[in-house]
Amino acid sequence: MLKYLIRRVLQMIPVFLGVTMLLFVLRAPGVLPGDPVRMITGERAISDTLRAQIVEEYGLDRSLPEQYAIYLGNLMKGDLGQSFQKSRPVVDILADKFPNTVRLALAAIVIEIIMGITAGIISAVKQYSLADVLTTLSTSILVAIPVFWLGMMLQLLFGILLKRWTGGAFYLPISGMESYQFPAWAHMILPAITLASVSTAYVARIMRSQMLEALGQDYIRTAEAKGLSRRAVIWRHAMKNAMIPVVTFIGIDLGVMMAGAILTETIFNWPGVGLEIFHAIGQRDWPVLMGGVIFIVFAVMIVNLLVDLSYAVLDPRIRYGGAAE
Amino acid sequence: MSDRDDLHHDAHDPHSHDKSRLEHGDIEDVAGHPVKDQAQLLPVPPTDEFATGGGRTLWGDAWYRLRKNKLAIAGLIWVIFIIAVTLSADLWVKPIFGDPLSMDTTVGANLQPPSADHLMGTDKLGRDVFARVVYGARISLTVGVIAVAISVAIGLIMGALSGYFGGILDTLIMRGADVFLAFPYVLFAIALIAVLGPSYRNVFIAIGILGWPSIARVFRSSILSVKENEYIDAARAMGAGHMRMIFRHIMPNAVAPIIVYGTMSIGGAIITEAALSFLGMGVQPPTPSWGLMLSDARPLMVRAPWLMLWPGFAILTTVLAFVLMGDGLRDALDVKMKD
Amino acid sequence: MSTLLEVRNLKTHFHTRDGVVKAVDGVNFSLEAGQTLAVVGESGSGKSVTALSIMRLIPESTGVIGADSDILFKGESILSMDDVSMRSIRGDRIAMIFQDPMTSLNPVYRVGRQVGESLVLHKGLKKKEADERAVELLDMVGIPHARERARDYPHQFSGGMRQRAMIAMALACDPDILIADEPTTALDVTIQAQILELMIALQERTGTAIIMITHDLGVVADMANDVMVMYAGKQVEYGTAEDVFYRPLHPYTWGLLESLPRHDVSDKGVLVPITGQPPSLINVPDGCAFHPRCPYAKEICHTTVPSLESIEDGHSSACLFSQDPSFRRDEVSPSGEVA
Repeated sequence: MLKYLIRRVLQMIPVFLGVTMLLFVLRAPGVLPGDPVRMITGERAISDTLRAQIVEEYGLDRSLPEQYAIYLGNLMKGDLGQSFQKSRPVVDILADKFPNTVRLALAAIVIEIIMGITAGIISAVKQYSLADVLTTLSTSILVAIPVFWLGMMLQLLFGILLKRWTGGAFYLPISGMESYQFPAWAHMILPAITLASVSTAYVARIMRSQMLEALGQDYIRTAEAKGLSRRAVIWRHAMKNAMIPVVTFIGIDLGVMMAGAILTETIFNWPGVGLEIFHAIGQRDWPVLMGGVIFIVFAVMIVNLLVDLSYAVLDPRIRYGGAAE
Repeated sequence: MSDRDDLHHDAHDPHSHDKSRLEHGDIEDVAGHPVKDQAQLLPVPPTDEFATGGGRTLWGDAWYRLRKNKLAIAGLIWVIFIIAVTLSADLWVKPIFGDPLSMDTTVGANLQPPSADHLMGTDKLGRDVFARVVYGARISLTVGVIAVAISVAIGLIMGALSGYFGGILDTLIMRGADVFLAFPYVLFAIALIAVLGPSYRNVFIAIGILGWPSIARVFRSSILSVKENEYIDAARAMGAGHMRMIFRHIMPNAVAPIIVYGTMSIGGAIITEAALSFLGMGVQPPTPSWGLMLSDARPLMVRAPWLMLWPGFAILTTVLAFVLMGDGLRDALDVKMKD
Repeated sequence: MSTLLEVRNLKTHFHTRDGVVKAVDGVNFSLEAGQTLAVVGESGSGKSVTALSIMRLIPESTGVIGADSDILFKGESILSMDDVSMRSIRGDRIAMIFQDPMTSLNPVYRVGRQVGESLVLHKGLKKKEADERAVELLDMVGIPHARERARDYPHQFSGGMRQRAMIAMALACDPDILIADEPTTALDVTIQAQILELMIALQERTGTAIIMITHDLGVVADMANDVMVMYAGKQVEYGTAEDVFYRPLHPYTWGLLESLPRHDVSDKGVLVPITGQPPSLINVPDGCAFHPRCPYAKEICHTTVPSLESIEDGHSSACLFSQDPSFRRDEVSPSGEVA
C-alpha cells in the first residue's frame, strides 16, 4: 500500500513538470510569435520602467532553462504572478473563488452519483426494458448536448417561463448568489444539474456495462448457487465489483468538474474559478488566465491521486501488491 | 458534451488497472447461463451469406452490420442532409432568406419572432437566423473535420514512432501524451488560444493539437498487437523496410479503430468549437458560428428566446449524429473501447 | 437407502435467435443418499445444463424446462416450488461447485467471508460465528494456516487452494447433495488428484451424495457408484460404474474409454480419439444423434431414434444394436488411473 502510494506520487512528478513546461513554453520568447512581456502583463500600455522591471523579475533576458527554473521556483512558492487588472496576487484571487467552485462540483457529483448509478443499475438489471431503452437514449442525447446551451435552456424554462406560467409564484434562481429571496442551496440547483449532465450520462453508461459484465461472471453463479436472493446477488456480489471503475470515474470527474466548470459558471454567473478565468479572457488578464490553468491542473492532479488511493481501498487486488497472479 | 469534453478523453482511467479478468465460459455456459456482456454480442446479427453477395470482406461485413443499425444510419442521413443543405445554401437560402451577414438596420427589423419571411426570426442586428444557422454548419463541420484531421495526422506519427520503435522514444511520447491528458481539455484550448490569438484558424489548430494523444494511443496499441503476429516477422525476414512495414502491414489493421475514434472526435471538436466561440476564444464576429450565436442570444433570453433555440438544436443534432455514427461504426467494425 | 433425488424426463430447451437449443432432452435418473453418480460426456452434451436445472439456475428469459419434466428432491417437486423454498434448498440441501475456481470466487470479498456466507443465510449464524466456522471448514479441506488464509482474498490463493475453498463453501451447510461440475478440469494434473482424493475423503466423512460431472471417465473411476453417459442432450448409457467400465454397451462409451490413456495394456498405448465433433444442438442429426461419428452405424441408425433400453439388470443403453449379445467390446477396459 505504501509502496503503491510512493509510486503514484513519483509518477506525478514528470507529468507536473511536463504540464508546467508546456505552459512555460507557450509564453517563452521565440517559441510562439508575440512579446513575452505582453504575455505577462496583458494587452495594456506599460511604461518602459515597468517593462524593464518585468524582464528583470522573470529573467526574460536569460536563457530558457534559467527562466524555467525561476518560473518553477515561483510556482513552488505559490506565486502565480500578479493580476494586472486587479493588482492582486493571482493565487489570492483564485483561492477566494475556489471554495465556490468546489461547492458546485460537490453538488454536481451528488447528482451524478444518485442519478447516474441508479439509472445504470436499473437499465442493467432490467436489460432491454423500456427503462433501459430510455436510459440509453437519454444518455446519448446528454453526451451530445452543449452544456452551455443546456444551462441556458434550463434558465429559460425554470427561471423565466415557469415564473410567467405560475404568475411569479414558483421559479428557480438562475444567477449565482445575488438574490436574497432564495436560500443559498437553491442557487445551486440549476448550475449543479447543468454541470452534472454529461457526467451523469457517462456514469449511467459505465454503471450499466459494468453491472452487465459483473452479472455475467462466474462468482455470480456461485452466489446464486448458495441460495442468495436475486437482490442479495445484485447488491452484495455484483455491485461491489461493478462499482470499482465507476468510483474511479466519479473521482476523476470531481477533478474534471472543478477544472471545467468555466462554461457552467459563466452561464450562471457562479463566482468560481471558472468565471474568474472567463473574465480574465475578456480583460486579457493573462496572469490570471495562465495562473488559473496551473492552479486547476494542480488541483486535478491531487484529486486524481486521492482517487487512486481510494481505488486501492476498494480493490483488494491492488491493495495487496498489484494484479492477481 | 461539456466544458470538459469527454469524447476526447478516451482514458477516464489513465492508469488502467490490470483487473486480470480471466476469460471464462465454455460452450455450455453460452447456452446455460446469462451471457456475460450482451452489449458485445448484440450488435452482431447473424450474417446472411446471400445478403452480402460474393465478396465477404471486413468492409463488406462492416457495412452490412452498419446498415442494420438504425440509429447509426439516422446519424449518417442527418450528416449528409446538413452537408447538402449548407453546400447548396448559396443557391436558395441567400436569395430567399437573405445573406447571413447582411444587417437590416430599419426600425423593427431586428429581433423579429419566427415568420414566413424569417423562419427562425431575426437577431439583434436584423440578420436572418435561419440563414446564419445554415451557414454556421459550414464553420462547425469544417472545424470538426480539419481539427480531427490534424489530430489524426499528429497522432499517427506519434503513435507510429512510439509503438513501432519502442524504447526511450516510446516512453517520451507516452509521457507526453499523459501531460496532454492531464490538462482539462477546454482550459488548455483556452490557454493555447490566449497565446495564439482568437481566430477561426487557431480554433482548429488548438483543437487539433489537443486531440492527438487519444489517436496516438489507439494507433500505438494497434501496432503493438500487430507486431506480435508472425506475419510481421515474416515480412521483416523478407527485408521489408520500416515505411513499408508500417504502411503495408500495420496501417490496414489500425484503420478501423482510428475511423471510430475519428468519427466520435468530430462530434467532440464541433462542441468544443462552439464552447470556445461562446467564450469569445473562437470564431470572431460577424462570422456565423453556432457558439457565437448562442453567446449573442444569451443577454436576449427574455426578449427573444427563439434566438437561442435553433443554434443549440443544430449543435445537439449534429454532434448526436456523429456520436451515433461512431457507436455504430464501433459495433460494425468490432472495435473494443473503454466505455 | 432412500432416494434423495429423482429426475424424470428432464427437458431443458433454450430459445435463442438461431433456434431452439435442446440442451437436455429427456433425461431420467435417480440418486440415493451417500452415493456418487458420475455424469460423463463431451462439452455440449447437456451435463452442466442438467446440473443447473436441478439447481434451478437456468436463466428464465431463454431457458424452458418441459412441462412434463419433474425433479423430485426427497419426494418433493423442485420444479413446482416457489422461489423462496427453492432458495432455502439451494446452497443448504443441494450445493454446487463449478469448473473454474479462478473466477468462481468473488474477488472483492475475503475467502472466509465467502465460505461462511451460506451459514449466515441458511443457519442463521452471526457473521462472527460464520467466520469461525469458515476457518474450521477451510482447515477441513486441507488449507494450511486456515485462520490466516481465511482473511486472504481469492487472488492470493492458488488454483487448487481456491477449489478447496469452493468445496468448503459448498459443504458449509452439510448438504445432502453436492453437484460438482468439472471440478478438476481447470487444474494441474497433480492438483486434480488431490482434489478428487479430498472429495472422496469428505464424502466418507459427511455421507453427502455427489453428482460428479466430467468429460473424463478416468476422473470418476475411483469414486462413482453409477455412471450416466450423455450425448447431445440425451442419455446414451446408464449403469453401475462396474458395468459401464467393464461391460460398456454403447459405441460412444467405447469411444470415450478408448480415448483414455491406459496403463494396463502397454502394447496398445495408442490413444484413439473419437472422430468428428459433437452435433449442434439446434440441428440434431436424424435418427441416432451419434450416427455421423459412429464407426458401426448402419442404414437404420440414420432414421430410427434409439431409446434408452434396459439391457441387463440396471444397465441400459440407447443403441439399436445393444440387444445383440455379439455387439460388445469387452476388451475395452478403463485405465483406472487418473489421467
